[in-house]
Amino acid sequence: MQFKSQAVAKPYFIAAIGLFVGQILFGLILGAQYVLGDFLFPEIPFNVARMVHTNLLIVWLLFGFMGGAYYMIPEEAETELASPKLALAMFWIFLVAGALTIVGYLTVPYATLAELTGNNIIETMGREFLEQPLPTKLGIVVVALAFLFNITLTVLKGKKTAIAIVLLIGLWGLAVFFLFAFYNPVNIVIDKFFWWWTVHLWVEGVWELILGSFLAFVLIKTTGVDREVIEKWLYVIVTLTLITGIIGTGHHYYWIGTPEYWQWWGSIFSALEPIPFFAMTVFAFTMVNRRRREHPNKVAVLWALGTGVMAFLGAGVWGFLHTLSPVNFYTHGTQITAAHGHMAFYGAYVMVVLMMISYAMPIMRGRAANDQKSQVLEMWSFWLMTVAIVFITLFLTAAGILQVWLQRASDTPIPFMAAQEKIALFYWMREWTGVIFLVGLLLYIISFFVGKGEKAA
Amino acid sequence: MIPAMTEATTSPAPNQPRLPGDLAIWIFILAEMLVFAVFFTAYAFARAKDPALFNECQMTLDRNAGAINTLLLVTGSWFVVLAVQAAHRDDKAVIARHVALGMLCGAGFLGVKVVEYAAKFGAGISLSTNTFYMFYISLTFFHFMHVILGMVILSVIWNQARKGAYGRENCHGLESGAAYWHMVDLLWIILFPLVYVMR
Amino acid sequence: MSGEFTKSMARNIFYGGTVFFFLLFLALSFDTHSQLPKRDMRDNIDAKVTEGKKLWEVNNCIGCHTLLGEGAYFAPELGNVVVRYGEEGTKAFIQARPKEGIPGRRSMPQFNFDDAQLDAIVAFLKHVNSVNAANWPPNDQG
Repeated sequence: MQFKSQAVAKPYFIAAIGLFVGQILFGLILGAQYVLGDFLFPEIPFNVARMVHTNLLIVWLLFGFMGGAYYMIPEEAETELASPKLALAMFWIFLVAGALTIVGYLTVPYATLAELTGNNIIETMGREFLEQPLPTKLGIVVVALAFLFNITLTVLKGKKTAIAIVLLIGLWGLAVFFLFAFYNPVNIVIDKFFWWWTVHLWVEGVWELILGSFLAFVLIKTTGVDREVIEKWLYVIVTLTLITGIIGTGHHYYWIGTPEYWQWWGSIFSALEPIPFFAMTVFAFTMVNRRRREHPNKVAVLWALGTGVMAFLGAGVWGFLHTLSPVNFYTHGTQITAAHGHMAFYGAYVMVVLMMISYAMPIMRGRAANDQKSQVLEMWSFWLMTVAIVFITLFLTAAGILQVWLQRASDTPIPFMAAQEKIALFYWMREWTGVIFLVGLLLYIISFFVGKGEKAA
Repeated sequence: MIPAMTEATTSPAPNQPRLPGDLAIWIFILAEMLVFAVFFTAYAFARAKDPALFNECQMTLDRNAGAINTLLLVTGSWFVVLAVQAAHRDDKAVIARHVALGMLCGAGFLGVKVVEYAAKFGAGISLSTNTFYMFYISLTFFHFMHVILGMVILSVIWNQARKGAYGRENCHGLESGAAYWHMVDLLWIILFPLVYVMR
Repeated sequence: MSGEFTKSMARNIFYGGTVFFFLLFLALSFDTHSQLPKRDMRDNIDAKVTEGKKLWEVNNCIGCHTLLGEGAYFAPELGNVVVRYGEEGTKAFIQARPKEGIPGRRSMPQFNFDDAQLDAIVAFLKHVNSVNAANWPPNDQG
């Protein structure tokens, strides 16, 4: 480790992995509820479990982003972090606030939680992914601002590399677009319109800058390819991302009451959204092929290549599958959306955070890379989780196609629940594949505790 | 032969094809042209679905304004070519003047376009009027914004040129900006017949 | 073919391209907001609809259902439920949910709404149904 303050990343990474486990456990509960409808009812209704599943995902990815940034920024800026103490304090605040929120979800009926936490002051709750009570939302803002202040200051006093700048823009964008979470007009169309300014402009906008920046950082470190080369391609890729992704928001404006020209604008621009993802895949593979040295941390490189491929498949290919408005007319709000969501989030964001952890954790534990045994185990976990998510996506896609046919496209459409029962087989297969994913995740955790790590840093 | 070969590797032979401008701008140009290409294809599909509507609405467009604008952009491109050639001759004094004339043509384009838009919007036509006007406004406005971006780029170049930044040894930025300006011109040359003229 | 590829040019294009497309997005959003009054039936938003939307939110209905196709995919689309079940049918359905769920089946919680609240929820759902959503959903099954 080049700078002492990089060590603040460690608790962030540990928390991220812990919350990831929680997310997957609740995913399994949800999967079970899809086939055993009253599983855990009325103690944990589906909507509560889903809220926990998605919010844990967002929170652990944020922990991963922050940890990654705290690790990367001092090394890029070539100076110690402005305030490691602030970073640690924010860690505990964020963790406690997150934990309390989850406990609130699970122990109190949502309406009561809303009442207790001042939803009457500013009504922001009860919208998908933005279910957090007002204090939690404010907490996120405070933590994000303190975090941004900390790393921005670090960059300002040190070197301003392209990788650091792209990361900063991504993180500032993340904070700015989160502010739309506080805007909830009574007019449902305007509500939905700006809801996407948080949700879409996060995952298909600024988060991709964070992804690109992390990927570029790890590629420089593990391949030894010239920084100059990697950074200029990083700029090209994030340019492609934003010129397709910003107007690509239009693919959410087809059927929510917004004017119909969005069907054209959204289709045209989002049809091009796979291009930056493809560029990212080619970028990762080219840089690894051109490597100037053999880095001992093979598994970090595997995650880097994996995120390139899986982000392209999940976000690029599975996104394109239902993004054109004539197709989306039938697939909107079906299991096709769920299929895309699972693979895109895993491929783009889960994998890039795990890549960052995989690269940084051994160094923070005093070695360049984990020993062979640990790395092999982590590779097993890579393949188990990745193959599992591919099959989950395939099963959900099959379920979605059948759902569209039965419920929407056939001459004699049948009711939603009748269609759901007919496709239950795919939900069962998805659930068992989910168990395999969990096994992969447990192996991932075990890989931290095996082997001795004989290679000195 | 050996000295010749080593010489060839140290400085590229003058007849070797060279990409003018920066690779980055060419990637951007390619991406932009791809967006337009998809847009034009969408237009073709939409038109094939309802040719009667498209024919009828096309009649309402001001073809003279379109033709004048075509002339303006082609002239603008020509001035920018002159600027690049002047740089290659190392004739630094006239570069800025040619760039300024190119910008003047661009400004003329924007002016004509604003008059045209004023007439259309004044008649209550909007993106939501029908599919044809949706395409007409989308395509031309998307292009309109590109002209503005092109002008911003040219103004940066003009400023640099006045400081004498460009010459035979340094025309990288000038060539990059010129390439972008030519793209804006080229796109209009496709757009104009497609939307205004072709039935 | 040889050519130069500089980081500063790539950076400038990144900034320029981003600003350009964001401005374009703002322009389209601006136009959208000028068109919305014709589509979102805002004149019909009264105290009841407002109350209904709040009830929709604080009970996290979106955690199972979709509304205009957005939400969870566990339970039926509700943007057109008033067409499918009728206003009274919708109220009756919400009221009839057993507290302990239905054995083996996906179960909706019993929220114990009073009559005024049920009216508000249905008013909200009716309002959503009246929004011009480009003929979505494809049929009454949602």
